[in-house]
Amino acid sequence: MANQPNRKSDHIRRVNRIIQTRTFVLMLVMGVGVFLLLFAKLYQLQIVRHEELQKMALNQQTRSTEITASRGTIYDSGGNILAISATAETIFLSPLELEEELKDEETTWSREFLAENLARILEINVESIYQKMDRTYSQYEVLKLRADEDVANEVRTFLNDHEIRGVYLVTDAKRYYPYGSLASHIVGFVGDDNTGLYGLEARYEKELEGQTGLVVTAQDSAGNDMLYAYEKYYDAQNGNDVILTIDTTVQYYLEKNLEEIVDKYNAAKGATAIALNVKNGAVLGMASYPNYDLNDFSTIQDAKLKQAIEEGTASLADMQMLQWRNKALNDTYEPGSTFKIITLAAALEEGVIDMSTTYHCTGSISIYDQTIHCTGTHLTQTLPETAAHSCNPAFVTFGLKLGQDKFYDYMDSFGLMGGSGVDLDGEATGIFIKEENFTDLDLACYAFGQNFNVTPIALIAAQAACVNGGYLYAPYVVEQVLSDDGTVVYQHDNTPVRQVISEETSAKVRECLEYVVSDGTGRNGQVTGYRIGGKTGTADKGKTGEVVVSFVCFAPADDPEVILLVALDEPADDTGTYPSGGAMAAPAASAIMSEILPYLGIEPTYSAEELLGADATLPYVTDLSVSEAIARLQEKGFSYKIIGEGDTVTDQTPSGGIVIPGKSTVVLYAGVEKTEELCTVPPLIGKTPAEANVAATNAGLLLRFTGTTSSSSGTICVLSQSEDVGAQVPAGTVITAQLGDTAVSD
Amino acid sequence: MEREDYRAYREQSERRRAVARKSAEAAKGSMDLPFLLLTLLLTAIGLVMLFSASFPSALYESGDAAYYVKRQAFFAAAGGTVMLVVGKVNYQRWRGAAKLLLGLSLFLLILVIIPGVGITINNATRWLGIEGVFTFQPSEIAKLAVIVYFADSISKKKEKMEDLRDGLLPYVPILGCFAILMMLEPHLSGTILIMGIGIMLMVVGGMKRWLVAAGFGGVGAVAVLYVKLVEAGILHYGEGRILMWKDPWLDAQDTGYQMVQSLISIGSGGLLGVGFGKGRQKFLFLPEEHNDFIFAIVCEELGLIGACIIILVFMMLILRGFWIALHARDRFGTLLVVGVMTQISLQTFLNIAVVTGLLPATGISLPFFSYGGTALALQLVEMGIVLSVSRQIPAPRNG
Repeated sequence: MANQPNRKSDHIRRVNRIIQTRTFVLMLVMGVGVFLLLFAKLYQLQIVRHEELQKMALNQQTRSTEITASRGTIYDSGGNILAISATAETIFLSPLELEEELKDEETTWSREFLAENLARILEINVESIYQKMDRTYSQYEVLKLRADEDVANEVRTFLNDHEIRGVYLVTDAKRYYPYGSLASHIVGFVGDDNTGLYGLEARYEKELEGQTGLVVTAQDSAGNDMLYAYEKYYDAQNGNDVILTIDTTVQYYLEKNLEEIVDKYNAAKGATAIALNVKNGAVLGMASYPNYDLNDFSTIQDAKLKQAIEEGTASLADMQMLQWRNKALNDTYEPGSTFKIITLAAALEEGVIDMSTTYHCTGSISIYDQTIHCTGTHLTQTLPETAAHSCNPAFVTFGLKLGQDKFYDYMDSFGLMGGSGVDLDGEATGIFIKEENFTDLDLACYAFGQNFNVTPIALIAAQAACVNGGYLYAPYVVEQVLSDDGTVVYQHDNTPVRQVISEETSAKVRECLEYVVSDGTGRNGQVTGYRIGGKTGTADKGKTGEVVVSFVCFAPADDPEVILLVALDEPADDTGTYPSGGAMAAPAASAIMSEILPYLGIEPTYSAEELLGADATLPYVTDLSVSEAIARLQEKGFSYKIIGEGDTVTDQTPSGGIVIPGKSTVVLYAGVEKTEELCTVPPLIGKTPAEANVAATNAGLLLRFTGTTSSSSGTICVLSQSEDVGAQVPAGTVITAQLGDTAVSD
Repeated sequence: MEREDYRAYREQSERRRAVARKSAEAAKGSMDLPFLLLTLLLTAIGLVMLFSASFPSALYESGDAAYYVKRQAFFAAAGGTVMLVVGKVNYQRWRGAAKLLLGLSLFLLILVIIPGVGITINNATRWLGIEGVFTFQPSEIAKLAVIVYFADSISKKKEKMEDLRDGLLPYVPILGCFAILMMLEPHLSGTILIMGIGIMLMVVGGMKRWLVAAGFGGVGAVAVLYVKLVEAGILHYGEGRILMWKDPWLDAQDTGYQMVQSLISIGSGGLLGVGFGKGRQKFLFLPEEHNDFIFAIVCEELGLIGACIIILVFMMLILRGFWIALHARDRFGTLLVVGVMTQISLQTFLNIAVVTGLLPATGISLPFFSYGGTALALQLVEMGIVLSVSRQIPAPRNG
């Protein structure tokens, strides 16, 4: 248009100019202006809001499937499995998919058919299945978490047989505790999501859990995989294995005996028992009562707790907390006289007393205006005798000689103030009077273990230090942590925390404590064939009649390997047994020791007297002449009884080759048929050893005694028998009878 | 008088012949190469992106990943050929076709709304043809008809465009007819485009300045008032559309779903995009991913940088088009090109503005990108018209 001829009118020029100008303006608006707005909007969406929108995109575009890492295994010291994860299958349904399947004309099964069969196989309420099916917006409704293999297989077969789509199984892990309730307070348990809730399962969660793997798959909006493979794998890393110092056998004996005495003495507040390796603080066993089953941890096991819930006096949650409580370390108690070990060790170490110290007990001692009574009037005693009599005035005097500062310092050095440092959760802190408020009267009470609280674990760790040469070790239950491929990730360090007393002092303490068991209040703690040192304790809980009775003992007394504490909280006073550590806890400790010491490979050393009563192997005498048989039996120290008139022994009871108590009577049959009848177990409890022996022999049974054999007080009698009264057993069965002194006080 | 008549007749015919000769000479000039290349470039990019965006749907629906792109490529080839032919044709010939086109498009628009004749998709009856074989929208032809008729008519009006009687009155009923017919389909976006093209041509053609100002002001005020009234809950017509535009997350599963998915696609692209062909939103998440919302997939796969480059190509095409309009040999050429480029620009802007949530949703396709054979072919024919105009650009006076 620029070249239009000049003759064109002004009008036309003006029009052309307008068109040119407006086209140019329109060019700027249409070619540039509007697009600037778009650039700005795109910048806002793609840069400013990028992360937010990308997250939404990934959420809907990807489906991530978790690969559950196998949780680590918990082993005892002997390689026995305490906790293990096994694969289990979670069964879920996709209501969205089911709805579509049901609409499909080719579907041969009905909603009711599916729901009822699933309810039957899974043993769940059919209504709950319908409810889940109704959530048609959902693609994932769990029907059964971690079903067992057989159930899962049944579901799988059912789904395959009827070509059902919309119900699925996903493999994941289920936690099994092969020993059930054994060491439940230590091992602990996991919740539904497989994370540790309690005990070592919780404390070692990081080690045990492993790293969950992930498969991220791209999916389209219908939930199917996208056309091209978009998958990312993050490998699962299995959890580490935890190896404990706990020995299932030791633990079993602790729990068995603890349960027995709780029942027998009707201990209202439960009980605890701890066995430590004296030389390094390793916990060999730690039992707490009431107990529970790890495989069913929320169910109350103890009859008394159940009753409380039924009566409405306690809530389920409270009772669960109670049964999960590890009394060995979650609770504190006033130790009573077992604490005298500490006072003794400190006083000896500081030289305020020595082995030649004597103390004259008048039956009480006065501090300021207060009178502290003794259990008796012991008159003049040697140092071991003060311990053997558990003489309160003597130990009050030793404590006062030591003085407040030093006494307080020793409490601290023995780790009683700060706690034992055991590698378990929830260790309670002891309760003590502040040092600035500590008076001589407090000191006097502390000296025999009253007016302060410690945890059983802290106390036994301190006592172990008193008898092992003076070395305080932090008790521990985890020896090692191993990775999946066996690499040692963690190894317990056996270095003692400190040496509190000297080797020499420790030896003196051991000497005194051995005397307590051989000739004192602890004589019910004797174990045939072993030198045992120990100390009884009966602590007032403040209220009249309510006591904690305990017994701490170690063996062998000259070079201790094992130390054991047994404590009963609030035993009843109407069981016929005087509620004291010596009468209630010591026999249990003796029973435990007699079982775990041989198991731990600690060789018995018999005295000559004991040897006479020791077990012996019964020789084979069948087919020998009667005279020769008698000679063989007498040689071994056995008595005999002949039935029949023949010259040759035709049979014998018990059979040859078995180990029976020495001095037992063996029945020889000479030409007479051996009677195969059963014998009735007679009542032995309460009888003296002699009476019991007669009763057993008359019944055709053999008797083996355990426990204390020193009968200086003349009150020794049978405390318990291995077979129940009235039981029918074969002739010649060996009954174990535990002897003890029922009258012994603290 | 016969002689004078004869002389006048001869002069007239000679003048005509001279004009025709000149025109024919001018028409022998070469096509504008930048514009041709930009058109081909956009068509090519459009096809490639259509393939990327459509293959999942194509596969899910027909089992052939290239189903959509094959059809589109056929129309691109056909359209490209027609474009070159149209480019060779002297654009003056379109003058003669103006009234015919207008009549034809009005006829087709009436035909489409006769029940049983048109094809209905999503409650809108916009298509003619045989479903699944060949369909087209009469509104596409209507756009071309309006461009050609308005350009022809306005270019003849000269200064009379400033009069209300000559410059406004004849066009209002035409646009009104189109608007009513298309709203009966209903086809709001098409109506907006036709109105926009027509009004822009009238504005450029020399409409009174105050009328232009009043017109734009009025439209703007009505739009703002409408949005405000809907927001206030007084007016309910098109309520969902406005509310979902304000915040699609209000109903992200249903009415806001498409908008949310579009924003997610664009946003997840970020600066560099997830990579060509690797977009995930096209896997049944984003509806209309190969039609109106194809640009969201472009943003997801190519990122801000890729999206901006494509917009820049569009801008270059539009600017070059307007450059041709400015240099056209006559007013008709200028107005033809202005009409075509206004259509391309408006459609591109409105499409991307809707996809990015800048404007409320309407169904406007993206030129050269969105799936739709006839639309693409017609766009290429329009490009042919621009090329035809470009051939007659007089050589610059000083070499």
